[in-house]
Amino acid sequence: MVDLIALGEQILLLAGMVTLGFAIGMFFNGFARKVTARIHNRIGPPIYQGYIDVFKLFAKKTNISHGWIFDLAALFSVAGITLAFLFLPVAGFTLLSTEGDIFLILYLLAIPALGFALGAGASGNPNAAVGIMRALILMLAYELPLVMVVVAMMIHYNTTSLATLVQMQSGMHWAIFVPVFFIGAIIVDMALQGMLMEKPFDIAIAPHEIASGPMVEFGGKHLGALMLYKMMAIVVETTLFVDLFLGGGVVLSVSQYGWIAYVVNFLVWFALITLVFFLALLINAVFPRFRIEQALKFYWKYDALAALLILIWVFAGVSI
Amino acid sequence: MILEAFGVMLLAVIVVLALDRYPRIAAAVAIIASLLPLFALTSWAGIMGISLPSFLAPLEFESSLVYNLGPGTLNLAITPLGWFFLLLLATSFPLALLFASSFVRNRAGGFYAGMLLTMLGSFGVLLARDALTFFLFWEIMSWSILAMVLRGGDRRAIVSYLSFGSLSAMLLLFGFMMLYFKTGTFLFGDMHLDTSLTTLVALSMIVAGLAVKGALMPLHVWAPHVYSRSEEPFVAFLSGGLSKLGYFGMLLFMYGIAGLSLLSSWGTFRDVSYFGYALAVIGAFTAFAGTVLAVMQDDLRKLLAYSSVGQLGYIAIGIGIGTPLALTGALFQALNHTFFKAVLFLAAGAVYYRTGKWKISELGGLGYRMPFTFLAALFAIFALAAIPITSGFAAKWLLYEAAIEKKFLFVTPIMLIAGVGAFLYAYKILYGVFLGEPRYDVKEAPISQLVAMWLLVLPLVIFLIFPGWVADLAAPILSEYGMQPIPHTPYVITTNLAAYNTLAVIFALMGALLVSLILYKWKPQEVVPHEDNYLAGEPPELYEYISMHAASNYYEPFEDVFGPVFRRGAERAWEIILAAAEFLGNGARRLYTGLTQDYSIYILLFFLILVGWWLLW
Repeated sequence: MVDLIALGEQILLLAGMVTLGFAIGMFFNGFARKVTARIHNRIGPPIYQGYIDVFKLFAKKTNISHGWIFDLAALFSVAGITLAFLFLPVAGFTLLSTEGDIFLILYLLAIPALGFALGAGASGNPNAAVGIMRALILMLAYELPLVMVVVAMMIHYNTTSLATLVQMQSGMHWAIFVPVFFIGAIIVDMALQGMLMEKPFDIAIAPHEIASGPMVEFGGKHLGALMLYKMMAIVVETTLFVDLFLGGGVVLSVSQYGWIAYVVNFLVWFALITLVFFLALLINAVFPRFRIEQALKFYWKYDALAALLILIWVFAGVSI
Repeated sequence: MILEAFGVMLLAVIVVLALDRYPRIAAAVAIIASLLPLFALTSWAGIMGISLPSFLAPLEFESSLVYNLGPGTLNLAITPLGWFFLLLLATSFPLALLFASSFVRNRAGGFYAGMLLTMLGSFGVLLARDALTFFLFWEIMSWSILAMVLRGGDRRAIVSYLSFGSLSAMLLLFGFMMLYFKTGTFLFGDMHLDTSLTTLVALSMIVAGLAVKGALMPLHVWAPHVYSRSEEPFVAFLSGGLSKLGYFGMLLFMYGIAGLSLLSSWGTFRDVSYFGYALAVIGAFTAFAGTVLAVMQDDLRKLLAYSSVGQLGYIAIGIGIGTPLALTGALFQALNHTFFKAVLFLAAGAVYYRTGKWKISELGGLGYRMPFTFLAALFAIFALAAIPITSGFAAKWLLYEAAIEKKFLFVTPIMLIAGVGAFLYAYKILYGVFLGEPRYDVKEAPISQLVAMWLLVLPLVIFLIFPGWVADLAAPILSEYGMQPIPHTPYVITTNLAAYNTLAVIFALMGALLVSLILYKWKPQEVVPHEDNYLAGEPPELYEYISMHAASNYYEPFEDVFGPVFRRGAERAWEIILAAAEFLGNGARRLYTGLTQDYSIYILLFFLILVGWWLLW
């Protein structure tokens, strides 16, 4: 019986965190629009616009589908991003992250992307196919510097588990304070810009060229599900950055301060992911869009070259 | 029973050749004969510590056999390594034949005969306990592959296979002879190799010879030609099953016969032998270049062929690193690749069977027409892209962990980026063939083809849930090499870097799918044909002159960037070597003019040089 109660508590905690994650994601949507509007000297929508949009879309009466493969997009994108969130350490809560590692998260992040791509492809709209093509090439582009830095970190800290990495950074031994990983953080931040598909890397969506690309055929609850996915993806990707470089937002140790530590850590984590996202928004607001081959060359030439230096540093550091 | 099995298979070869006019009966005979290796597999399950119920093992096979063949002896015995690879071959082989029963109509007898001979050869290779037996069966296998390539009738495929096949045979033979020279025996059990240079050269030659069959770059040139110009059921078995024999041989010679300590005696780098390190680097390069080339193909078969080359590179990486973790990963990857690549080639065959098209840009929209083929291919693609809802992920994960554990700073990112590249071509198959604008009004594939594909999908699901079972299968192999098995339970694999719990993934996925299903089922929906949205309800006939399927030149920006570097790279290199050889040969030929005067001048010149040299010296 005790086991069951513990299991129930665990499931409740996971469900609560996922709900909270989606809530933060929806908040980020409104936040992004407000910040961009203020930079453009507009007033912009209210900061809770994200909630309004999602609830409106899920409340729609007509929902157009193009068959069951098309529906896979809605199912896989929400399920996949939830799954990825569950395997991240979030604000000192390990959730399921001790059962997997960074590679699992990188591959779990592909589930919603591929599911989304399936649905978009099944819509038969050429714009969607072009958008997916761009998104996939962009993914190939930003993953190279990202995995180079991640591999360097994993070898330096001798673990591939994010939970262990966060633990090792506790007591403010954040990776970003190691000079070489400060450069690494900048490189990964650029990769993050591509992951978040903010300008200059919003090539896949590109509303003016290909009519929002992959999203073009979706409406009603399908679009609602995809919006939920995009919003949660922001939380997951910024959390990944915070876990890697900023100690996962853990500032107080739970064993010392008890439940206060959970609250404080949660707030610090929230502040940090907001900060990371805010940085991305600042870049987004002022840059124009790259072409896809420019993005590929940017990531593989400059970003990857800098990442190579980090690899060489770790290489030298390991052999000595 | 081993000899009887060979005899029955040979008999079946003659029977199917005689039944050339009756494809269905020939198929039935071939499938019955193909069950023999499967029964051998179940009968030998004991050596892997598996006890099967007796109805699964109706025939009793002896575990070793020495047969006097006149000039020499055949030494056959089952080993854990042989059993593992027999598992891959013997299970995929009958299914490929089942698929063929509805696919191959033309000169069917020859097809089944060739297939049975390749299986006979590989059965012998897996059991061989001395170098000559190994070579004999290896050549039976290689030459029957040539027979199958000849059926395809493509000159380029035949020439490239023949030249690389003979290169492989030559390298193997030289290697075996050198080992015989050093040790005085062909028996694997008695070969006690020393650390001399001869042994190193011999081992390198053998591994290079095996790498031809394993399609490692730059010896892969034959693979795309052969894979794209032969019949699909055969290619499914060639890519899925037979290409693994190269890696079987590498494991056998590098770890079974030479051993880790011998490899390490030629120098190590961070406890990985230089020998293994070189293989790992070649494997990583193969994985990356194969992936990039696969992304650029428009022919479905060529795409799958290059993808095969790339995925096989991962096995080489694992074998090269050579830790228990890496070897388990390599075996796991071999197992996965057998099944998912067989499914993909068979699905391509099913698509061809219905539409008659190979080009991705000419296909499209088959997902709703052939849903079961689509779903099988989707599963296989998930496994290929290592998405953690099939067993594909566990294998790649083990290899990544092994590489990080040994601090392979440059190989690991290349492996990871090749993994991302796999998404690109995976989506190209999905979109180009199954999604997008429906262009063909075709039926679902025949039932025999569907059964074959779905039975091959089954292991991908089983080993998703129980990845520990592969570690169990790898344990006796590792203990033969004096290594400890990796710590695992059926569901959890632990390394000293992290742990991977597949139950957590499955249950979390179920929970998450449940949540999204509730969200999704909240409101009813209406299904409309896709023209109704983006063509604004206009009848599609108006658009007949434009294709709405954006699949031709799909990754054009990618090709602009990578094309100049990768297109025809290896082939051009070989062509340069060929041109140099031809130039020298032509130069030498010009000397033979057929005129007596010229020859007399040569003789005179020769004497002058001789005299001059004698005078000066």
